[in-house]
Formats: sequence, C-alpha cells, structure tokens
Amino acid sequence: MHLHFPQQMLRHLAFSAFLFALSMSTMVAQTRTITGKITASSDGTGIPGVNIQVKGTQKGTSSNASGTYSLDVSGASPVLSFTSIGFDAQEIKVGNRNVVDVVLTSSTQELNEVVVTALGIKREEKSLGYSVGKVSGKDLNRVVTENVLNGLSGKLAGVSINATGATGSSVSMIIRGAKSLSNDNQPLFVIDGVPVINTLNNVGQVGNDNRVDYGNAISDINPDNIESVSVLKGPSAAALYGSRAGNGVVLITTKTGAKSNKMTINVNSNTVFDNPFKYLNMHSKFATGVLPFTPDNNPYPGGTLYIDEGSSGGVGPELDKGYKAVQWNSPLDAKGNQVPTDLKSYPDNVKNFVQTGITTTNGFSISNSTDAATYRISYSNMTNRGLIPGSDLFKNSIDLATSLKLTNKIKLSTNFDFSRNNSNNRPASERGSNPLQWAYAVSPHINIMDLKSYWVPGKEGLQQNSQAIGDYNNPWFLAYEVKNAFERNRFFGNAKLDYQITKELSLMARYSLDTYGETRETKIAPSYTGEKNGAYGLTTLSPSERNIDFLATYAKSLQDFTLSFSLGGNARKSTNVYISESSKGGTGLVIPGLYTLQNIATANIQYSSSHSNKVVYSGYGMANIGYKDMLYLDLTARNDWSSTLPVNNRSYFYPSASLSVLLNEMLQIPNNRIDLLKVRAGVAQAGNDTNPYALFNTLGLAESWGGVTRLAKPGSILLPDLKPEITTSMDLGLDLTMYKNRLRFSGTYYTVENRNQIIPTTLPASTGFTSKNINAGLLESKGIELTLGGTPIDKNGWRLDLTTNFYKNSTTIKELSEGLNFYTLWTDAKGGAWTYVGEKIGDIYDAEIVTVTDKSSKYFGYPILDSDGSWQSVSASKSRTKIGNFNPDFILGMQASLSYKNWSLNMTFDWRNGGNFVSQTYRYGESDLKSQRFLDNLINPGTMTGDALRNYLVANQETMIKINGNNFPIVGGPTKQYGGFPFEYGGKVYPNGVFNPGVIAQYDSKGNITGYEENLGGPDTRIIPFGDNYPWSFTRAATFDASFLKLREVSIGYEVPSNVVKKLGLQAANFSVYSRNIILWTAAKIGIDPETAFQPQAGVQAGTQFKQGIERYNVTPWVIPVGFKLGLTF
Amino acid sequence: MNKYIKIAVFALLTGSFFSCEDLTSVNTNPNGVQPDVVNPNLIMPTVLTEMAKSYVNLGYQDIAGVVQHTQKDAWSSGHNDYDWGGNQSWSGYYDILRNNDLLYQRAVTMNLEFHQGVALVNKAFMFGLITDLWGDAPYTNALKGELGGVDNILPAYDSQEVIYAGIIADLEKANKLLSKQKSDYSSIVDNVDVIYGGDPTKWRKFANSLALRYFMRISGKKADVAKAGIENIIKNAANYPIITSNSDDATMGFPGTSDGTSWPANAVYDVSGSNYRRLKMASTFVKYLQGVKDPRLGVWAAKVEIPLVVDAALPAGTDKIEGGKRYLSPDKIGKTVVDTDPEYVGLPTSFSALPSAYNLNPTPGQTSFNPHVSFLAPMYKNASGALLRARLISAAEVNFILAEAAQKGWSVGDAKSLYEAGVKTSLAAWGVSGSSSAYLAGSGVAYNGTLKQIIEQKWIASWTAATESWFDYRRTGLPALTAGPAAKRQALPLRFYYMQDEIRINAKNVTAAMDKLEITNFSQADGKNSAWSRPWLLIGTSKPY
Repeated sequence: MHLHFPQQMLRHLAFSAFLFALSMSTMVAQTRTITGKITASSDGTGIPGVNIQVKGTQKGTSSNASGTYSLDVSGASPVLSFTSIGFDAQEIKVGNRNVVDVVLTSSTQELNEVVVTALGIKREEKSLGYSVGKVSGKDLNRVVTENVLNGLSGKLAGVSINATGATGSSVSMIIRGAKSLSNDNQPLFVIDGVPVINTLNNVGQVGNDNRVDYGNAISDINPDNIESVSVLKGPSAAALYGSRAGNGVVLITTKTGAKSNKMTINVNSNTVFDNPFKYLNMHSKFATGVLPFTPDNNPYPGGTLYIDEGSSGGVGPELDKGYKAVQWNSPLDAKGNQVPTDLKSYPDNVKNFVQTGITTTNGFSISNSTDAATYRISYSNMTNRGLIPGSDLFKNSIDLATSLKLTNKIKLSTNFDFSRNNSNNRPASERGSNPLQWAYAVSPHINIMDLKSYWVPGKEGLQQNSQAIGDYNNPWFLAYEVKNAFERNRFFGNAKLDYQITKELSLMARYSLDTYGETRETKIAPSYTGEKNGAYGLTTLSPSERNIDFLATYAKSLQDFTLSFSLGGNARKSTNVYISESSKGGTGLVIPGLYTLQNIATANIQYSSSHSNKVVYSGYGMANIGYKDMLYLDLTARNDWSSTLPVNNRSYFYPSASLSVLLNEMLQIPNNRIDLLKVRAGVAQAGNDTNPYALFNTLGLAESWGGVTRLAKPGSILLPDLKPEITTSMDLGLDLTMYKNRLRFSGTYYTVENRNQIIPTTLPASTGFTSKNINAGLLESKGIELTLGGTPIDKNGWRLDLTTNFYKNSTTIKELSEGLNFYTLWTDAKGGAWTYVGEKIGDIYDAEIVTVTDKSSKYFGYPILDSDGSWQSVSASKSRTKIGNFNPDFILGMQASLSYKNWSLNMTFDWRNGGNFVSQTYRYGESDLKSQRFLDNLINPGTMTGDALRNYLVANQETMIKINGNNFPIVGGPTKQYGGFPFEYGGKVYPNGVFNPGVIAQYDSKGNITGYEENLGGPDTRIIPFGDNYPWSFTRAATFDASFLKLREVSIGYEVPSNVVKKLGLQAANFSVYSRNIILWTAAKIGIDPETAFQPQAGVQAGTQFKQGIERYNVTPWVIPVGFKLGLTF
Repeated sequence: MNKYIKIAVFALLTGSFFSCEDLTSVNTNPNGVQPDVVNPNLIMPTVLTEMAKSYVNLGYQDIAGVVQHTQKDAWSSGHNDYDWGGNQSWSGYYDILRNNDLLYQRAVTMNLEFHQGVALVNKAFMFGLITDLWGDAPYTNALKGELGGVDNILPAYDSQEVIYAGIIADLEKANKLLSKQKSDYSSIVDNVDVIYGGDPTKWRKFANSLALRYFMRISGKKADVAKAGIENIIKNAANYPIITSNSDDATMGFPGTSDGTSWPANAVYDVSGSNYRRLKMASTFVKYLQGVKDPRLGVWAAKVEIPLVVDAALPAGTDKIEGGKRYLSPDKIGKTVVDTDPEYVGLPTSFSALPSAYNLNPTPGQTSFNPHVSFLAPMYKNASGALLRARLISAAEVNFILAEAAQKGWSVGDAKSLYEAGVKTSLAAWGVSGSSSAYLAGSGVAYNGTLKQIIEQKWIASWTAATESWFDYRRTGLPALTAGPAAKRQALPLRFYYMQDEIRINAKNVTAAMDKLEITNFSQADGKNSAWSRPWLLIGTSKPY
C-alpha cells in the first residue's frame, strides 16, 4: 500500500524546488545528471513523490508522477537517500552510474499511514481510536464500475452494497447494519468537504404500472477522479458530521494537480461487454392454457386444437409432440379460416430478447503544479447500451480542481464538478411495463423473434401485436415504445480559503453547493395494457444543498505532548422542489404519438408541486492530545439547531471520545516480530433530526369529483413535540501487524444504540388513523468486523497479498412504545417482514399451515385440508410463523493480489451466507405453472394406486406429506407422464389431476376435531386440476435461501516498462483486462441474484422505497462482463 | 497589526455568509391546508363519495357473490367460495369516518346544523356497515387516535348492541338537525352534496329511512324496540319523513374522469376489461328472474353469446358452431351438466375450482371469455351512466321493510300495498316501470302474504347493493340460498373476519370481541374468528341455520 497526499507532496515539491534553486547557484564543474525510476516492489508501478537527497548535502529532488527523477550530483562517491511515506528508506551508492533505478518495498510499519478523517483532517492511522475503512482510487478503478459504490463491494468489512439490477439502477450502501427503521440508512457522502445529495428515493411512475428506478445521484461521480475513499463507520469517527452521520460517512477525496510537477496528461479508455448467460428456470414444455389438451381430446367444437393465447397459465397443450393447433399467427386459408400449425417449443426466447450490454468510458485529465498554483482538469464520458434493447445511459462530467497561493499564508482552493447524466430510455422494473417480465411471459410455443415487428400491420403507432392483443404486452413494444427518459444536470463544488495565521494557528472557511435539476419524461405509446390510450408525463426534481463552514485549528507540540484544538461552525440549507404534470391513469393522449402536455385533454391532465426547506446550524469543537507516540486521546463535541424540530427540542448536543494505545511502544515489545500492537476504544453520540414538516399534518387534495374539490385528512398522526434521535455507539478494537508488516490483523467489536427513533408505527384502523409517528424505542446493533491480511510471498519480483474481511451484524428492537410490540417493515404476498420487540430486524413471517397438532395422532404434522382438498392457512400475523430473516448471517470478502514485475492479478470475492428472500417472480411464475422447479417437485405416483400409494406416501411422510421449507408435496401432474389423475371437464376426462397429501378433519359444533379422513390416494381423495393447485396462500412457497458467492472483480494488469514507455514519449502506460460481479454460486439455484431482493415501490416505508428481502421481477439475466482498460500518461 | 486586520477581514467574510433564518418559519409547510381552519364543504364531498363507493363495491362485488346475484369465473375464490383469507380490512371505512369526524367537528365549531346532520347520517351509515359486517367493533373509543393514550390508541370494542343503539340515537339527532327549511341553513353548497344537492329534507328522509333499516335489523333480537321504533316513525310521519318515492333515493352517480371516479370494475380504465369480464350472472338469480319473468333481467344481464343446443337427432360426435349456436350430440356431453337456455345462462354457485370451465367453455383459465355464459349488461363496462349509480338506500327498500313490518302485524299499513309499492319503485328505478302491472299480476309475484316473497323481492331489488340482502338472509334465512360444492364451507357465511392488523396490534381488545362470537358447525379450523361464527345479532336467534 502506498498512499500519497497532496499537502505533503506540495511541501516536498516546494522544498525540492527551493533546494534546486539553491544548488543551481553553487553548481561546480564535476556535476553530472543521475536519472532513474523508482518503483514499488509490490506491483512494479512507479512511485511518485519520493524524496531523493544527496547524502550530506542540501541537494535533492522528488520523483514525478510516473516515479522517474533526475538529479544533478557532484563529488566522487555520492550517496542518494530515497524516502517516501509508506516505504522503507533506502540509501544507494551511485558509483559511476548515470542511471539509478530503485525498488522500494512497502514500509514495515504502515503505522504512519495517513488517512482522511472527519472534516477532511488528515491523521496518522495509528493515532485514531476508531476504525476507518479506506480504499484507494487505484483499487477502486482497477475494475471500472458505472456507480462508484459498486466498486466498494467486498472491499470493506462492515459495509454491505446491494443493487436492484443492471447498469444505472440504484445502489444501496449500508454501514454496520440498518440503524433506523424509518429512513433509507444510507451514509452521508462528502466529496472534498461537500456533502452531496444521495437517496434511494429514485423510483418514479408515470402511467399505470410503469415503475422506473432512475438510479441514485451518487453515480454522478466520475470514479476516475477519486484519489481515495475513507469510510467512517461509527459515530465516533463521524460525530463531527452531526445529524446525518448516524449511518456513517463516506469521505471521497478527489485528485488534484499537486502530484504533477510538469504538465501531465492522463488518458484512459475502457470498454466492458456484459454478456448475459443465465436465466430463470422456466420450462418450455407446454403452450399457454390451464389444461394440456391433445388433438384427439380437446374441448373445441370441430376437433381442431386451439391455443388459449390470452391465458396466463403455462400448462396448455404439450409442445414438440407433433401436434398442430391454431395459434396467434396461424395463416389463413382461401376461405379465411385459420390453418393449424406445428406446436413447437422455443426455449431461448429471453436469451434472444436481451443483448450484450456495452459500456464505454473515455476520459482524460490535465494536471500541473507550480509553487504558486496547482490545477487538474478532467473530462469523462460514458455511454452504455443496456442489456434490454432500446435502453441506454450516458454520463459526461467535467471536474476542475485548483489551488492558488495568494500569499505565503493564504491559500484559495476550489473544486467544481459539472455533470450531465441522461438516458433516452430506462427500462421499467417490477410488474407492469417491465420488458423482462413480458419477455418471460412470452409462451414457449411462440418464437419471440416473430414478435419483433411489434405493430399490428396497418395499425402502426396504434396497436401493438402480441399473442393475445389487449391481454399480453409485446416485450419489444415495451422496450421501444414505453420510454422513460431522464436528464440530470448537476453542479457541485466548493471554494475554500486556508489561512495559516501563525505556525500553530490556522483558519479555514468554505462555501459549498450541490444542486441538480432532473427532468424525467415518460412517453407511452397507445395499446400498452396499462394505458391503452398511451400516456405522457414530465417530472422535475430540483434539490439543492448549500453549506457554509469554518474551522479554526491550533496545534502545538510540547515535549512529550502533541496538542491540537479545533473550533468550527456550519450553516446548511437544503431545498427541494418537485413538479409533475401527466395524463391521468387510463385517459391518455388526444393525438396518438404526440408527446406534449397540450396533447392531453384538459379534463385528463393531472399535476402537482411541492416545495420544502430545511436549515440546520451547527457549532463544534475537537481536541486531540498525543503522548509520546503511544497514547492518543480525541474529544469532540457538537451542537445542532435544526428547523425540523419544535422550538424546545431544536437544539441538541452530542459528544464523543476515543483513545488509541500503542501497546508495543508502551510495553517496549521487542520490535523483531511485532510491528504494531494497538488497542483502541471509542464512545460517541450523534443526534439526528427529521424531514421538514414532520410536526403538523396538512390536508391532502384528492382527485376532484367531477369538478368538486375534495380535501382529505391524512391517516398519519404526526408528532408536534418531536425530539431528536440519539445514536450512541461504542467501538473497541485491536490492530496488530507482525513480521515486517507481512501479517496484518484488525478487529473491531461495536455496539450502536439508537434511541428516540422517529418512526411511523401502525395503528389499529379503528383509531381513525393508520399510523402514528412516535419518538421512542431503542434499536441495538452489535457486530464484529475482522480483517486479516498477509503477504505470504514477496521475493524475486513476486508478491502475493491476501486480505479477508469478515463482518457480522445483528440489529434488535429492544423497546418500542407502550402498547406496541412489533414494527412492520413491509407486508407482501401472504406475510411480511416485521420485527417483535426483543427480536432481530429482518424476520419474515408467513401464514401458518393448518396441520394436525395433536402429537398423539398418527397424523401429527400432516396438513389438514379443506373439503376441496386444498391446504388451509391461518394468517401470518395471528400465528407468528417465522420462515426466515432477510439479513445474511455473515459477509466474508476476500481480496487477492498477485504481482510479478509489471504484471498484476487482482481478485475480489464476496460471500454472503445465510438469510432468505421472497421471490414474487417465482410466486407469480409458479402459480401460472411456468417453472421447471415446480414440475420437478411433483410426486409421480407411477403405477401405484390405493393402499400402495398411501403406504408409499406415509413411508416418506417427511418429504411427501409434511410441508417443509418451500416444498409443498403434490401427487400427480399435468399429464400421464407425470402420473396425473383423471379429471373430468366438459364431458371429457383429462389426465391432469393432482392431490395434496394430508387429512380432512371432521368437527363438532364446538369447533373441536372429532376425526380425520385420509386424503392419501384412496377412493375419496380430492382430485384438483393441476392448473389450479398452487399454494398461493403461503409466502414460504416462494421463499429461498439467499446465500451466494460472487467474484466481484478480477483483473489482469500490465504496466508497460519505463524504458519502453519513454521511447513512446510517455510517462506511463498500462493495460488491463477485467470482469466483475460474476455469480459463482447461489443456494437458491433459481436464476435470481439474491442481492437484487430489493423491491422498489413507492411509499412503502417512510423515507425509503425499497423493501428488503423481496423481489418482484428483478430478473436481469446473470452476466459475465469482459472489460478492457487502457491508460496512458503523457 | 496587519495580521489582525487580515483575521478580521477573514472572519467578516466568513461571518457574512451566516445570515440566520428563523427556523420556525422555515418549517412551516407551504404545501397544504391546515385541518383546523378548513371549510367543511371541502371535506363533505370526500366523505360522501368514498362512502358511496365503498357501499357499491361491496354490493356489486363479493357480497353479490354471497347472495348469488353474480359469480366470478376467475379469481373467484373470494366471490364464489367465501375464501376470504381470514382477513378483511375495515381500514377504508374508518378512513371515511376520520374525515367525517373532521366534517362534524368543523360543522360544530362553525355552528352549521345541516353539515352536522349530514355528518351524523354518514356516521350512522358507516358504523352500521362496520357492525353489520364484523359484529362488535370499536365505537365509543374509536377515531380518537390523535388524543393519544393507550385507551385511544388501542380502542376497546363495543358490543353490537351498543353500536346499533348509538346509530339509532344519532339518526334521531340528525332528524332534528335537518328539520328546517333549506333557507334557514347557512353555508350549504349544493354541488358538494353529491347525493342530494344540498336538500336538507331529503337528508332527513335518508336519516329516518336508515333508522327503519336498523330497527328491522335488530328485530330478531329486540323485537319490542324494533316494533316501537318503526311504529313511532310511521305514526309521526310529519316529524319523521321517510323515502317513499324514487326521487328521494339516496344514490350517487359517477363523473367517470378516472378509475377512482368511475363505476367499479369498468372496462374504460381497466384496459383489459378482465374485471368486467370475470363477473358473470349467477345461475340462482337468472333462474329466479326467468321464473317470474322479471323485466329487470334484460337490464342487468347480457344474453348468452353462443347458446348450446344439444340434440339427440344430431349424428354422434357432432360439436360445431353454426349460426351463432353450438350444436352438440349427446355423446359429446357425457355426464356433464350443461345449460342450454337460449337467452340467459348463469354460472352455478361455487360449483368448481375451475368455474371458467362451465358449460363447455373451450378456453378455461383467467381470461373469462366464456361465450356460453351470460355476461353482465354491456353498460357495466362504462365508467358512468344513468343507471350506474351507487345506491345507499331506496324507496324500494323502505317499502319492503314496512311490508315486512306489516306482515308481522305491526301497525304500519297494509302489507300488500307496501309490497307492491316496493316492487314498483324498484322497477321504476331500473327504467322498466311500464311492466309493473303485468309483473305484479304474474305467478310468484302476485302478493301471497309470505315473508319469503317479500324478502325474495327485496333480494332482487338489492342488485348492486347486495349487502342488505345478505343481512336479511342472516336474519330470516331468506332467500333460502345454499353454498355450492367448491365453497370453503357448506353454508353461507355470517360475517367478515376481524382483520389481521387488529389482531396483531389491538390484540387484547379484539380477542375479547372474538371470545363473544359463537362458534357454529361451519366455524371449523377458523375457530372463533370465523366468517361462520355468530355475532351478537344472531346469538340465540336460530337464524339463518
């Protein structure tokens, strides 16, 4: 590891320039020029900023961005000393060489490593009493990701990253588990001191069932501009950021020109191809329908076989049996009658629908620094062609970072970033206009390519063609004619003045702004099943946040003590304006295909706007005291005044303290094995306010009733005397490095208590209200983070680094308020995720299956069926039937880095073990009998009947009668081949009957069970048509194990050797091939990435629109991306 | 010195950015109207429209299935089989009551008697519906969530007895509040009253007619109170005007500008039209109406698209469609029961797990394109229309209530003429009054003095407002409906299940209420909280089974 830091660099540069000037004036005759390149032993890359000095003289210089240097020396046997932070110093006798190349090895003591902490203050890591996760820009960009957050996956203990889908979708980052029940738990992002806006509330909907995730705004950041990322995990680290730091802080430091000592131009280009390769496990055995007719046994008059194209069922006539049927596209004969055609299967419909995604990113930067000024300007452009035809994404950003020395003591620096993020078409998610949902809905008897010209001939622009017009959407039509475009223009930046008043006293003042305008435009062509007359809508979001802050710092060293005191203040104002205009659901446009607001009839237009403001003032102070490089104590305090709280509770104060003890120094442990042994501890509080206008409700405006205005009182009760939330955290850790840094360990145990949460709780509707905000409760998170790293190989140019992160967290609701014993996160399917007091967040509940509970009965555990032979349920809330938890048991990340000379191989693995998710995709798909899994789980009775069958089932009752996990035993199937039982319908008998093994109970008039009748294949067994027997009443039927293993990143890089580079007139050149996010294994084995079990849905939980642990058509095929990256430095 | 000047300038520059704003005014919501100043005329239409919508949603959808006006042939288990998942929510009803409470409070504050009267009728109507459907329910302590405290956050349940008494008392109060001339009231805005256009007299009739409904409701349990109450209203007709003509019917039309303002399950905003399609005429209803040659059948039902013709004269193996009819030889039918009525074919009650398969439909499943069963009349595809009205209470219902009272021997008039007035006003409401005389003379319709006949005509008249018919069935066992073979239990249900949110959140109080329910033979695996358990109203009455 080698990190370099602008300010020190600047000092080095300034100092060397000064020395150089000095040496010029005293130059003597024997002077010769020594050149060379300084490379790192770890990966062979050039090390910039190495201080090179001629021993015993004042002469010196430092290496440039690519690690090369040039220095004039004199004298017979000069000795050069090479020093750089993070590397062992070396002294080399020049002899009579003119070229002196040096390989520096990483410092045995990375203790001196400097990290960026709160308020951008750089600190030696050893002095910190809390853990800071850090990722260098280099590690982040080895594999190019469109959203910077994806690049952090698997690299940090205590951090979990989830995305709902492919490129451009929202990415959630949760540090040390969810702490708040009511907000989206996203950390605060701070770029060069500027807090930036990022939420998960990015789902928009114009038109019925047209839900689009427009992606979160953090993706506006160009990852290439990032110098380093520091993650402040607990409030002890983040206390100074106040209200919003409760979920942690991600500090992003961008690159500046300070590293360049001449005009340096960096160009890079990369392209990644996302190749889809794995799909849902759906069968292609039957056409649509609910009864598998055959030509000689079908209910149609006249004997011709027809396909019920509009049916959503997936067990119509069997395919590939040589049958002919009248189908959706059957040709007409001379008389105008449809001619039956072959019934064949097309198993690759989805594969033929999606395309290879291509993302190309090109960028360049120009940077330079002089004594008085540094600058870096960069430009980046990304274009993406999505997996779904017709979808795209574009990003452009320009970033300018400058610093200017106004006087010796006053420095002005600025950082401006302009970006434009846009798309002509983002695909919709969930059920509705989601092209993937409908690609999977295309029946296997249809070739999806036959639907590709998606208009009905003669009705172009008016009517889409599909297997059943009006009931089915054509996926190609959705891809090309339901367009959800957006454009986000963003500016963020700051201007900062630093004033070094005296050697000890400095002052900083800064103005920063983050603002963007996002316009979303939806165009829906006529004949989409949700909007038969089409739809049009415009939505504009204009959030902005302005911060003004100052910080005064006094630092002094006194013998054994180092002291530093800071005092600061911040004024923050956030505003948000939302405007939308669209056609009312179902009404559509006057002239088809003309997308303007004027083209919506006056009675059919709907519009809304809202405006919100929030102001927070803060004052804070900090003291750092160090003693003899072995004891460090940090104290912070902050007070906030928030506009969102009532006058009496508006001001809130919170302190923190942390201590770092270097035991190796203190106990004077011999230095030969142990390099560092540090114990650290921290306690901290952070207060948190709420959203604007959370004190008093206003009446809502319902849709007018034929011109009559209707106001409605909201069903939520707000709290006029809100108190701030208080998060208290405790952080205990141990850091150990041994064998000259070849073995590294870091462990942290933490607890977080979140009190006075402002949460909406569900009320019984009979109170007149559905929810009430309460300011109560106690959530406790506990967790451990372990990092173990080592360098087992480091010789002969080979170096292997291995790092493993282990992370385990659990969050428990300790208290709610009086009378409330649980909190609902979401309800869906027939159950939901709610947590009872004393239990862990993430529990999933389901309806209870009615079974024989009498342990003395021989039928104990058997399902009690209703008189029809169907399973019976006792609803979820009554029974408390827990079926899982959506949080993983643990997350294990592993990084391996192998280098040999100029080559390097890097890999990042992510293993999440345990946890469950609910797949609504499978629930819908299997209830329509479309999954192969459902067919595979059927019990085939073969030739067994009567007692033989009964005894067989009873002998295997654990798997063939009782219901375990997501398996519901069903005997029989859709055809004879599956052992289907005779079922009479319409005067004919079809072999598609099934039965559910179990018993039917008899009751007396008091409701007591008096006896059981077996439903195990005997004469009175209730036979149900296969098409009507899905366990729809039970969430568990579609609940799966969420464990998975992913290869997050793999890359092979090559650094072109410096002599070759030089011949090309370059400073450096490198090339790499990479891939990312390859799903290696999932426990569920159903073709769904468990990580995408996040369901975007408007307004399910206050503040967040993601239901965790459940997915609904988040069915992007799995991909194997292949990327190529080229970087050149001039 | 220089240094201090610099510091001062620096501090000044920094400080000048910090211009403090008043934090309280920053947090004043600019986006909505405050509840404590709202004009009640802005709330009244919210309450009335939502109340009428929720009533027609019950009476046109699942309860129409219970009383066998209709059956569904897809997504049918709730409608046909009473498979209600053990969870029916009343939260929409209490939402209406919350707004109605605001309407009432503002009307009291502003001393608006008309608005108070209307709010009390609404309150009686909604609480009536809640207790009719579920039994005991929060009443005294309901709607007080904003006051806080455990008693208000987790309200206790009142006995049905208490709620019915409260409803009757509120209606009495409304009768007084609404007794003045329109000109004596202030702040009446006609068009916000989507039911009566701001007519206090009609609201007064609504209040008293509703009182008749509730007196009759408790007649099996508290015969004395019911008799006295109904006789009192009829005796003092001048002080208790009631709905007697169609023009007084409490009904609401739909503007049809969006799905939320349209006739339920229309095919204008439900693009695929499947909500309209899957609702079919019930066989029980069709056969009864055909039996009495009821002219309303043609108003409500569409003729079967392709009738079946089974003819033994056809060669074996015949199954063909010709001239809009499907001809079959008997061997093609086998043992399957088919309905060959050339005009109207209803779907038998809960007859199979695959109701879409009925009458040889070649495309069973969820698409509901069965050409061999009668759809509802095409007007029900529309978003609005002259006959597409939510009907809260009608002259027909009032007349039938009084006919029943007279039939019991209570002094309210002549049973026959009240019965005939009920039939006539219903026929008039559906635009077929021309057939009244012939119809009333017909077999099965001509008054025969039985309660059965009165209730059966009331059952017909309750089309799209089926809840009353269900409650009559509970009280009297009439019409003598039976459950179909695929029903969850082999009897009609008696009530709705208490909702899961109550059981989870308000566990103690709802458990006490559940304990008061009486288990029947059909409660079975549900236990106390069963749709087949008896609420207070039925305990001890031996009705309907």
